[in-house]
Amino acid sequence: MDQFLQHLVNGTVLGATYALLGIGLTLIFGIMKVVNFAHGELYAFGAYVAYALVSLLQMDYFVALVLAAGLGLLLGAAIEFLLLRRCRLENIDEVMLIMIGVMIIMQNAELLAWGGVAKVVPTPFPQESIIVGGIYLSPTRLFVLGAAIVLLLAFYLVIERSRLGLAMRATFQDEDAARIVGVNVSRIYTLTFGLGSSLAAITGALLAPVFVVTPTMGDLASLKAFAIVILGGLGNIRGAALGGFALALIEEFGAAYISTAYRDAIGFLVILVVMIARPQGLFAAKERVG
Amino acid sequence: MLKLDDITVHYGATVAVDKVSLEVNEGEFVTLIGSNGAGKSSTLRAISGLEPVVSGTITFEGKPITNTRPQSIIEHGIAHCPEGRRVFSQLNVRENLEMGAYCRSDHAGIRDDLESMLGRFPRLRERIEQPAGTLSGGEQQMLAIARALMSRPRLVMFDEPSLGLAPNFVEQVFELTAEIRAGGTTVLMVEQNAYAALELCDRSYLLETGRVVLQGTAREMRDNPDIRKAYLGG
Repeated sequence: MDQFLQHLVNGTVLGATYALLGIGLTLIFGIMKVVNFAHGELYAFGAYVAYALVSLLQMDYFVALVLAAGLGLLLGAAIEFLLLRRCRLENIDEVMLIMIGVMIIMQNAELLAWGGVAKVVPTPFPQESIIVGGIYLSPTRLFVLGAAIVLLLAFYLVIERSRLGLAMRATFQDEDAARIVGVNVSRIYTLTFGLGSSLAAITGALLAPVFVVTPTMGDLASLKAFAIVILGGLGNIRGAALGGFALALIEEFGAAYISTAYRDAIGFLVILVVMIARPQGLFAAKERVG
Repeated sequence: MLKLDDITVHYGATVAVDKVSLEVNEGEFVTLIGSNGAGKSSTLRAISGLEPVVSGTITFEGKPITNTRPQSIIEHGIAHCPEGRRVFSQLNVRENLEMGAYCRSDHAGIRDDLESMLGRFPRLRERIEQPAGTLSGGEQQMLAIARALMSRPRLVMFDEPSLGLAPNFVEQVFELTAEIRAGGTTVLMVEQNAYAALELCDRSYLLETGRVVLQGTAREMRDNPDIRKAYLGG
């Protein structure tokens, strides 16, 4: 039973960060329809920002988190403004090529700047785990969980309750209709890409002290983010959050009770099953078309 | 109030609007009639800034608005109720109405207008929390009209508001456009149903293949033998 609870806790912590990754991508891929292969690179970018600021510049970790989110926002907005604005997502092949290019450039820039050796970001929290009822809780991971949940809630409120969130949802449902009621659609595009990127970057920065930082860390993150978005249903914010938790728990329990070696494979196997049995996603809402 | 001077709009390689000039005076109800593909919708889209104007000028209340971005057009006081309703199908009724007031920042005024809109359209009040995509066609048209009015426009443009609606809703929509004009808002309406359009409006323009081929008061147009033959069924 203790083992079970331990896995449940670990899965939940991981799930919260998956949820952040997934929500960021569901904005860009699900709502904006940009097949963003560089999402994982923004995650790696955030981790490297944390490494540069905390490990190299001895900056406070919490300040570094905020800066990673801010720089992720700027970088995402710049990618949209400089590369995507012109083709305005009309040609999906073009968009995919651009995003693959961005991914390759970012990954190699990281390799060039920091080398291929994995980097460590020190945690500001005590190393000893807190033991509650036989379950080991690392303070760093607890912080990750808390921060992720706060971000998830804040983000949900922005999308569902704020004027900006309303304009975003309206824009991606019907661009012309959004224009005629006065939405500056170009700005919404840039902001949405920036916000999604910012979430990826802060996730990377949050997890930097938990894992190590490498130039290829974005690959698996991208893959998982896509899996989460598909699991939750395209463009479904709540679905992406639930999908993130679901994938993490599947991985965690799969690793625990089936095989550690096939940890990632088990997750993707479930995605395949979902795509065959319920292609609209596990948590997709019913919708009348037309 | 609104003046189009020789405007031309291209749609890809084809000329959708060919040197169209027209005028709408304050308080008037003006219609653009003509068959499908005559350039009526493109004219409205050009006024809204959704289609680029290749040549010619558009002025509104004396100010040039040619090729102005749509978000500025609505701030000038022109609302556009587009063809095919175009409500935000996944937003609920309230959110659709709030989007209509997106260009405004007077929160109290918006709240009052929302309330009066719901008073005017009880069907929308009943469905206030429902996604707009779950409404019937007629209800969606009511919502599209209410959304356009939420910006407190001085000129409202309707594009084929009766298209695809059940007969009882068609009647209702036309009554509504007349009420809106009676309330002091200037109306420019595109309508394929020439009979209904000429019953409602003060003046009308007939478009054919992107050109204005005839214009006049509603009475003159109704009495014109060519129009009677081609558009009013003899």
